[in-house]
Amino acid sequence: MSTAAMHPLAVDYLRRLRRAGQELPAARLDDLCAELESHLLEAIPPGTSDAQARSVIERLGPPEEIVEAEQPASATGLVTEAPRRSWHETAAIILLLLGGFAFGVGWLAGLILLWTSRVWSLRDRLIGTLLVPGGLATVLPLLVLAGTTSGGACSGTATEVSPVFRPGRMHCATVAGAGTGHTVLAIVLLVIAIAGPIFTAIHLSRRAAAAGAAVAR
Amino acid sequence: MAPRDSTISQLRRGVLEFCVLALLREGERYSFDLVSALGEVDGLVTSEGTLYPLLGRLRRDGLVESMWRESSAGPPRRYYTITPDGDATLRSFAAQWVRFRDSVDSLLNQGATA
Repeated sequence: MSTAAMHPLAVDYLRRLRRAGQELPAARLDDLCAELESHLLEAIPPGTSDAQARSVIERLGPPEEIVEAEQPASATGLVTEAPRRSWHETAAIILLLLGGFAFGVGWLAGLILLWTSRVWSLRDRLIGTLLVPGGLATVLPLLVLAGTTSGGACSGTATEVSPVFRPGRMHCATVAGAGTGHTVLAIVLLVIAIAGPIFTAIHLSRRAAAAGAAVAR
Repeated sequence: MAPRDSTISQLRRGVLEFCVLALLREGERYSFDLVSALGEVDGLVTSEGTLYPLLGRLRRDGLVESMWRESSAGPPRRYYTITPDGDATLRSFAAQWVRFRDSVDSLLNQGATA
């Protein structure tokens, strides 16, 4: 349908509705927009004054309110729909886990998604933020650290593989005993750096699934 | 103390869908007409826009059906009709509503005259 004949205020209202309803399933949002477009065209025919148009829009109420009424969480209990596992939560979990590899920017984006989602509690958010900030990418600096703390002059491909993992292939002039404490510490940190983000990802996806199920109930 | 807004809005939300069904009992109506009619009833609807999600729920629950039709003048209109399921739901609500309303009224009136 052409919006050429639409009052500018009506066009603006539809735009605000689209923006407010971004997180609704696309079919629902399209349906709502079609209804409201029809309503606005009907109530504000060409030649309507701005004041009249404003009063029509005022009676409709803010677009955010319409979107809120559309969301399953505020349903009266008549609706039983499959939980809406949105891209928002999925992206948050993936970015928190792996986003750190993109110069840390990806992890920060994951953090923003984590805190803007309504699915998780404060506790979940703190776990997602604090349990190994940076996600799996934290392993990288630790590997470098392990490479340097195991000390001495190492020859070989230290940039690719940590001497901690394949000591046999490396030729390190380490004084036996002196580097052992550092190596153990490095291994412990590595285990935490790998297990922490994986635990966080599993925890967050479980909590998101539980929240989805609660909404559908 | 005035009744809290949330109490009134919850009551409204609870009965509005039956008001929609009641309006459709006499025959099909298109959404703008339906929404305007409800909007004109005193104290029933605060934001007309929120009736559209409600219509969507009624459709998905199979209590109403809808069909878009071109109109000779103006935009296409979505016409709503009540289904047999919707009719049965409305009947059972209407019977319970009368009992509920009478009971609440009698208690409220008792308090007023005592």
